[in-house]
Amino acid sequence: MEAVSQQIPLEHFLVLSAILFSIGVYGVLTRRNAVLILMSVELMLNAASINMVAFAAYASPAAFTGIIFAIFIITIAAAEVGLALAIILRIFRNRGTANVDEVDALKW
Amino acid sequence: MTVAQLIFYVIAALAVAGGLGVVLARNTVYAALFLILALLAVAGVYILLASEFLALVQVLIYAGAVTVLMLFALMLTRVGDLPETMTGAQWPLAAVVSSLLMGLLVTTVATSDWPGDADGTITRIPFEQLGEALFRQWAVPFEIASLVLLIALVGAIVLARDEDDDVEESE
Amino acid sequence: MGMTDAWVLPLLPAAAFVVLALFGPYLPRKGDWLAVLAIGSVFVLTLLIVADFTDALALQGEDFAGVTNSIQWMEVPGYLELNFGVHVDAITIVMLVVVSFVAFMVQVYSLGYMKGDARYGWYYAVISLFVASMLALVLADNFLLLYFSWELVGLCSYLLIGHYSHLRSAAEASKKAFITTRLGDVGLLIAIILLWRETGTMNIQGVIAAAEAGEVGREILTASVVLLFLGAMGKSAQFPFHVWLPDAMEGPTPVSALIHAATMVVAGVYLVARLLPLFELVAGGTELVLAIGLVTTIMSATMGLVMTDIKRVIAYSTLNSLGLMFVALGVGSPAAAMLYLFTHAFFKALLFLGAGSVIHATERQDVSGLGGLFSKMPLTGVTFAIGALSMAGLPFLAGFWAKDEILVALLENKIAFAFVLLTLPLTAMYMMRVFVLTFLGEPKEPEAQEHAHEGPPTMAVPLVLLAVLTLVTGFVVFDQVGRAMGFPGGIGEVIYLYGPHAFEFNVAVTLGSIALVAAGLGGGWYAWVVRPQLPASVMARLQPVHALLVNAYYLDALYQAIIDRVVLAGARVIAWFDRNVVNDTGIDGPAYTTGFAAYLMKFQQTGKLPNYALAMVIGIVALALVAFSLKA
Repeated sequence: MEAVSQQIPLEHFLVLSAILFSIGVYGVLTRRNAVLILMSVELMLNAASINMVAFAAYASPAAFTGIIFAIFIITIAAAEVGLALAIILRIFRNRGTANVDEVDALKW
Repeated sequence: MTVAQLIFYVIAALAVAGGLGVVLARNTVYAALFLILALLAVAGVYILLASEFLALVQVLIYAGAVTVLMLFALMLTRVGDLPETMTGAQWPLAAVVSSLLMGLLVTTVATSDWPGDADGTITRIPFEQLGEALFRQWAVPFEIASLVLLIALVGAIVLARDEDDDVEESE
Repeated sequence: MGMTDAWVLPLLPAAAFVVLALFGPYLPRKGDWLAVLAIGSVFVLTLLIVADFTDALALQGEDFAGVTNSIQWMEVPGYLELNFGVHVDAITIVMLVVVSFVAFMVQVYSLGYMKGDARYGWYYAVISLFVASMLALVLADNFLLLYFSWELVGLCSYLLIGHYSHLRSAAEASKKAFITTRLGDVGLLIAIILLWRETGTMNIQGVIAAAEAGEVGREILTASVVLLFLGAMGKSAQFPFHVWLPDAMEGPTPVSALIHAATMVVAGVYLVARLLPLFELVAGGTELVLAIGLVTTIMSATMGLVMTDIKRVIAYSTLNSLGLMFVALGVGSPAAAMLYLFTHAFFKALLFLGAGSVIHATERQDVSGLGGLFSKMPLTGVTFAIGALSMAGLPFLAGFWAKDEILVALLENKIAFAFVLLTLPLTAMYMMRVFVLTFLGEPKEPEAQEHAHEGPPTMAVPLVLLAVLTLVTGFVVFDQVGRAMGFPGGIGEVIYLYGPHAFEFNVAVTLGSIALVAAGLGGGWYAWVVRPQLPASVMARLQPVHALLVNAYYLDALYQAIIDRVVLAGARVIAWFDRNVVNDTGIDGPAYTTGFAAYLMKFQQTGKLPNYALAMVIGIVALALVAFSLKA
């Protein structure tokens, strides 16, 4: 373990993470194509990962739990993408579209 | 402004640009390519945070495998060449809400006291320590994660498989 | 089988009812043997209880106040304690003997009379339920059980009057009986609640003791006594509730014999006799009973004279007798009332069963279509004559002794005495009339009599047994007879409630009443046998009086008018309120409001995922803003 100083305050990483997260939220809310929504979700996951790693590096260097968490996040994200894409494929096959606002059978 | 700071701002700008491209691009393939850009930029952020291993994983899995998978999905779900509206009708409200969310998060970050932010000193974690922690301290979660991955894989195959019965049913 | 085991008695026919109601159609002979077996066992067990009772009486003499056996049903400590149990004393014994014996006779008789009836099994089920509830009624040691059984006998009466449910008149009569008695029953219920609130107990003896100790306020006690008597009036068909009893003759004749002559209608007499101490505590209490009894006696005696339906004549004679019992109670002589009740049960059941035999044989019950039946049905004729003469009060028959007791008890009250004397020849006359028109003279509809014959042994045996009892029961008034039967101190000990009582004869009264009865019988004989044209000419001359009597003093018309004008008008107002305010506004209103709100809100459910996601994010942002504003 060695200490390095890069004169970048922790807040910078956190603000970057917040911006990326909000962009991801915007994408989830506006995109029609389910695959694009999934991409926006990946943006949000990455933003969270940045948060974790930044806290691990600055706040608890001895335990570096944040980094371990980031690894798990990537693992789960991979699983999630596989499953979600399979579901999207199935929806597309059944209903002929991958646009979420056209899949609205669950209503009155 | 140090070199490291300069590199951070460049990488951060790239990440934000990639993110905006993902949510704004009118072409789905462009959006996927913008996602690769954003993910690579995040890998750069990991390097700045002295987590080279994580950066490696990010590039290999995200930028490589996941994005390629998405491109395949885009290809499989394309409906002809009809020009499509890419953005839903609720985008103005979504923009307001997202901006509000960003404002709130940034305000929170700015008004809080964070440990270790005085001199910007971080600790580099060697690969060996990381590996040891992952396979000793975190062995059980690691195994569970691998199980989840396996099940997700099986589920994805079951869901995506093109069965004859299903075709009949859907017709 | 001691007195404390008396609770078994109602359970036997009740069990028979359950079995018959559930499995009756699958049993051989539809299970009638089960009902007869149950009531037969009750009769035998009753005899055992009577034996136990006489033993206790011999041991304790006049101090014997009865045996109580009760279990706790529920308790709210310090507030409410309810016990269910039986109380056996002298009055209970009399009622038990009457109910079990007459019910047994009637059930045997019904084997022949009801044969081939479409609802034969159901008839036996309900009559078992009736016997069970009647036994529970006389055994009850508390007001609650008494009220339950009181309502149950009313229900059975309703079901049995309407037994021939395909007849509209039967359905109407059953409704009329049920609603009319219900008017009185409400009074009884209110009285029970009032007394319970004042004394804190439901126990009958406890309530009497508390009232005698002056624990009940005078106004409350007066109100409860009047309301109690209202219940008795309804059940015992006293004026002005008497209108249901003649109509109740729509039921099968054995039912009339059991319920509407011997047992249920005397429940009111039983109740007043049991609670007479309460009546005596209230100023005017016994006078009320006396007045009501007198009015009923006189009205029914006059109406009985003109009715042409054989069962209705007997029904009016029942009213006549019930009125007499209340008169006896009203002058404070429950012993006379209970003796009359005891003897009346036998000869009135005999009269009804005899009438049933006639109806069974000729399928007619209007005397204008009968006559000359004596040669075809000698047994029925003789037994009916015994019953009729007993009702008239011919010496040495059961009715004579009991009536004489009432007359002696009335000596103190000249006016009531005079009125009762007035009814004696009337009673004798209409009993003679119904007998003559049914059994003597020429057949008025010969074709009806062609196939007339005596009923099967199941019908004949009860007639004979009841006739024999009618001949002999009167003699129990003699102490010697009572002692011979095992009652120490004579029968007066048994059917008297409190204090010793010796039956006494007043020679003048006896001779006078004999003379009046003889005059009535002779007059009847003269009018309908010697000069058969006489009644018609009298009828023609006294047309208004005749119309008044035939129409039962127009009381039915009056009640109908009240119901039409007052009750129905009120009901229409209530119906309007119910339809418009309660139903349309109160119930449909909230329902429609909810439905409309749901209709408006369902469009929130677009089914589009982005809308839901946006709502979630808005919620998160809003919560965060709230948190911020709270922090700031």
